[in-house]
Amino acid sequence: MAFQGPNLTRREFFKVASASAGALAVSQFVPPRVAKAAMRSGILDADGDGYIPTMCEMCVWRCGVLAKVKDGRVVKLEGNPDHPHSKGRLCARGQSGLMTTYDPDRVLKPLIRVGPRGGGQFREASWDEALDLAAESMLQLKNQYGPEAMIFSSTHNLSQVQFENLLNAYGSPNYGTQRSLCFNAMVTAFSLTYGVEEPARDYDNVEFILLIGRNLLEAISTSETAALVEAVARGAKLVVLDPRFTKTAGKADEWIPIRPGTDSAFLLAMIQVIVSEELADCDFVKQYVVGCDGIIDAMSEFTPEWAEAKTGVPADTIRRIAREYAAAKHNALAHPGWRTSNFINSFQTERAIATLNALSGNVLTPGGCLIAENPEAAGVPLGKPPQPPYPRTTSLRLDGVPWRYPLVPLKLGIFQELRDAILSGEPYQAKGWFISRQNPVLSIPDRAKTIEAMSKMECIIDVDVIMNDTAWFADIVLPEASYLERYDPLMALEGKVFIRQPVIEPQGDARSALWIYKQLGERLGLGDFFQYEDEEDYLRQQLAPFWVDLEILKTRGYVEPDAQREEEPEITFNTPSGKIEVYCETLGNAGFSPWPTWEEPTAPGPNEFYLLTGKVGQHTQTATQNNLFLHQVEDKPRMWIHPKPAEARGIKNNDWVLVSSPIGQIEIQAFVTEGIRPDCVYMTVGYGHISKGLTTAYGHGSSDSDLHVTYTDPISGGQALSQTYVTVEKA
Amino acid sequence: MSHEEFIPLAERKHLREKQIKKHNIANILTHWFNAGAGALLVLTGLGILFSPRLGIVPDIWLEFVRNVFGGTANLITFHYTVGLIWMAVMTFNILVGFRKYFIPFARNRMMLDKDDIEWLKVKPLQMLGFVKDKPLPPQDAYNAGQKIYSYVVVVGALLIGFTGVIMTFHQLVPWPWLLQWALPVHFGAMGMIIAGWIIHVYMGAVFPEEKEAFFSMFTGKVSALYARLHHSKWYWRYVTEEAEWEDSVLEKGRQLQEEAAGAD
Amino acid sequence: MADKKRYGFVIDVERCIDCRACLVACRAENDVEIPYTRIWVRDLGLKGEFPELSRTYVPYNCMHCEEPPCVDVCTSGATYKDQETGLVLVDQDACIGCGFCVDACPYDARHLDKTRGVVDKCNACAQRVEMGRAPACVATCLGESRLFGDLNDPESDVSKALKEAKSVQRLVTEDVNPGPNIYYIHGDVMESGVLPREPRYTAAETFWRKLAIPAVAAGVGLSFLGQAAFFTKQLLEGEKEFEE
Repeated sequence: MAFQGPNLTRREFFKVASASAGALAVSQFVPPRVAKAAMRSGILDADGDGYIPTMCEMCVWRCGVLAKVKDGRVVKLEGNPDHPHSKGRLCARGQSGLMTTYDPDRVLKPLIRVGPRGGGQFREASWDEALDLAAESMLQLKNQYGPEAMIFSSTHNLSQVQFENLLNAYGSPNYGTQRSLCFNAMVTAFSLTYGVEEPARDYDNVEFILLIGRNLLEAISTSETAALVEAVARGAKLVVLDPRFTKTAGKADEWIPIRPGTDSAFLLAMIQVIVSEELADCDFVKQYVVGCDGIIDAMSEFTPEWAEAKTGVPADTIRRIAREYAAAKHNALAHPGWRTSNFINSFQTERAIATLNALSGNVLTPGGCLIAENPEAAGVPLGKPPQPPYPRTTSLRLDGVPWRYPLVPLKLGIFQELRDAILSGEPYQAKGWFISRQNPVLSIPDRAKTIEAMSKMECIIDVDVIMNDTAWFADIVLPEASYLERYDPLMALEGKVFIRQPVIEPQGDARSALWIYKQLGERLGLGDFFQYEDEEDYLRQQLAPFWVDLEILKTRGYVEPDAQREEEPEITFNTPSGKIEVYCETLGNAGFSPWPTWEEPTAPGPNEFYLLTGKVGQHTQTATQNNLFLHQVEDKPRMWIHPKPAEARGIKNNDWVLVSSPIGQIEIQAFVTEGIRPDCVYMTVGYGHISKGLTTAYGHGSSDSDLHVTYTDPISGGQALSQTYVTVEKA
Repeated sequence: MSHEEFIPLAERKHLREKQIKKHNIANILTHWFNAGAGALLVLTGLGILFSPRLGIVPDIWLEFVRNVFGGTANLITFHYTVGLIWMAVMTFNILVGFRKYFIPFARNRMMLDKDDIEWLKVKPLQMLGFVKDKPLPPQDAYNAGQKIYSYVVVVGALLIGFTGVIMTFHQLVPWPWLLQWALPVHFGAMGMIIAGWIIHVYMGAVFPEEKEAFFSMFTGKVSALYARLHHSKWYWRYVTEEAEWEDSVLEKGRQLQEEAAGAD
Repeated sequence: MADKKRYGFVIDVERCIDCRACLVACRAENDVEIPYTRIWVRDLGLKGEFPELSRTYVPYNCMHCEEPPCVDVCTSGATYKDQETGLVLVDQDACIGCGFCVDACPYDARHLDKTRGVVDKCNACAQRVEMGRAPACVATCLGESRLFGDLNDPESDVSKALKEAKSVQRLVTEDVNPGPNIYYIHGDVMESGVLPREPRYTAAETFWRKLAIPAVAAGVGLSFLGQAAFFTKQLLEGEKEFEE
């Protein structure tokens, strides 16, 4: 059975950084290292033309790619049919990858700031100078303030393992990922309920799909998006809960324009119907679910009538959908979600989703829709270089994990708390920030605060491909080679091991993260933690357990090691009880409700709107707005508003409007449309770049980070991105 | 017969044998270069016009010419290459020695005077069989009809050249309408020249009176009789110049003789 | 097998999610200059009133018609219907950039690339089809909405899809039907935003066809006839008449 492996890694390593005066340095096609090697192995012919297998990095899904190379240039990208995430297809972003590699605004040489921070004045430097300066600053900080004064933040990506290595070897506990802006609610809820961070979805036999948000047709995960389209075409019923008529809602059998913040009410009512009418898969539930006995009572107050008052959805509809869902048994899927940082109560929404799936018995059941095991690592334990044990870190983490937030997983952290701790200086003042493949200036809510936080830093080092907003404020910018120009650690997926390898010579002086981290590590006196000669040596060490030649992997793009994998893995859940903990004692002990429950969200005032944000299929968060190919196919960034409130404010389509929130204000053009609830407005994320190093993206559109209020869910640490309320008036 | 002048038989015989030079080598080469280039250009140019909607050129020719050149692209390249070479050569021709050669050539052989206008009124009628007794006014080296044809060619060539350059360098032309109108103008100018050329060929090569004219485009020479009858203004000017030259040679000889005698 | 091929597209409208991967793939594969495009995904717009809403997307490109008006009007024959595949292709080396075909296309599927001075349009990635691969847009389509193949081959993907389709449409009107080879299934696309218009012919083309050509034909004809008459007269009267 085919399943959609989740990538536990996440977004934001695609940042745009600007180029210095230098134009693009395209290497001439004289037999260069990469091409020579590829010709030797036969994947490029004598003219240097052919297809080299690698992996995309235009989003987190990481589809396998066959890169067509001609005369030393990559000219076309095709999906790799052997890769489970692409199956031979690439989305718009994947196809546009060439333009990111050949973006004239790429940073191709190390840069050192010369003017004031944020002034965009840099001078080019050699790697030695830049790395020496970076290491010197980091060491000086460590000696003066302790290693905890240095924050390391990176959004999860294939080189994350070495990033974490650097962080841990250096000795700082302060690890910032952007997970809390996105995944935390889901990961925490599913970890507590199933013992699995993100269950994989299988659409082969699905008959009923419930999407809570999860705009799969625009927040594209290539193979999963394709599987959804296939399932719907095959006749599966699709129900979408979303305050906005997204493209996914457009393909749904039923679109339910639910009031924002009330998803959990809808789901709890569904659960109530299912358990009170005994529609659940009782055998499964009895065997595998904790709380089977008490659940009917626990859910008794969450009737469809109660939910109607909360959600605005008719009780009969809720009841009917619950019954239809249950009738599909283990071929029903309540999607775990993707961005689950919408309201403080999103954690409860996720708990309810986990419960719903458990009730239909589709978790780990043969033919069921959810696979709780982690398919990536299944049966493929990769090797790694030897290293000494890490130094102990004794200081508290700045983001409050776990001392203020006991249930938030350490490797997720709470990014917005980290940023706020820099500002407050509590419990101690952070002094340095090492950022790699991340754009906190645009992604963390309240951009002004993030920029202010940066002013507290003595040293900001940024590793990136292009001069994005974060690099714009850095002191040292280290140019990473684009994904088409570098090696990264191997990726294991569904029993196969995939390689990312350079398809062209890195342009300018750009280098891979593996190289950068090692170079920095050595200068920090941490060379023992980076025991690999170069990237290929690192990959060989990863392959060591399997007796597979790296050359074969480079030629084919993947190998399928003969690792032991159980055909029918035993159904177990990595929870304290070994079962699905619908009733979760861990939560109860921490002082929270052990059952999935209702938490009343806040609501906008009489003149205010819910500010909704979301994704489009033509961009990846804040990373791609400078890509010329994608710029050609994007929708103009405008704010969606329903005709009634628009008319009341004298706003016509394309009029400029002022949108104000408690922390900021933006000007943006209006898009008057029936496709949104009258009490909501919507804008696409990722626009409004302030870095002048981005020729196309600079000043184009406006940023949601100028409007979003910072919140933190006490259980999961997640943001509440839809809990910002705005006023809108004609400009 | 249109040229009335009574010349006694003996003189006529003498004049028939005497050859005078009408066209210099440059004129001859230019003429045939134009003819050759023109032929190539017309044939290949028509061969380009593939559109069924226009329907001017027979399919046989369109297919044949594409076979010969190995495709439309090569055909077009050949056409504009010949065109550009032709333009370059003609421009060079005119500009080199512009004052010394072209100006006098244009004055006598291209500009129309009163006689020419009169000729244009009378000759066509005579050809149709009317006013046979009216005398034709004397003509210069080229008669008025030939002068008119030269205008047709010059105007046509300028139009064809200008529009041809536009079409050849279409990548550099920012206005599609210019390209679009260049096509019918190019075609129309070509048509105009061809219409005139048909007359030119007939009158210059086939019409018996002008047989000498045809051969003169190879030898450069015509008989004095022909010149006197058909191009009298030029003939008498030529004869006068010749006489003056003879006089000056005789005078020079006498001077030399005198000097030689004086030296004794 | 020996039958002529008729390559064309079948678009399953239900499956198109307007992700626009096809647009980017086409640009990359065929080096299409920004801001031009060879293909489109046309949005027929949001229909209905909140919350009863619907939306349809129509992937769209050159229809590779059976009777293409563009081939008809092409001055140099640079645009032609390929014998082997039935695709309508442009030999850009033979294109003189007059742009008559751009106006003539009822689907506005062609454009004049001002940077290169020639006409450009979807060629169904003939360079890929030659090697047995699908056009770039079809190969990358996430929803498998775009299908391509030989419509004359009953075993091809496109023929099978057409056979099993519950509804089939082509973008034609009563007045305009050049025989397009893109079929739309599982969706209603017959809307003015995508339906074809009458072929247009520019003033220059009309002038050429209706005025310049007849004028030249008349002029040359008359000239020829005139000279022929004289020649005949000359033959009849004999040459002696002209002795001098």
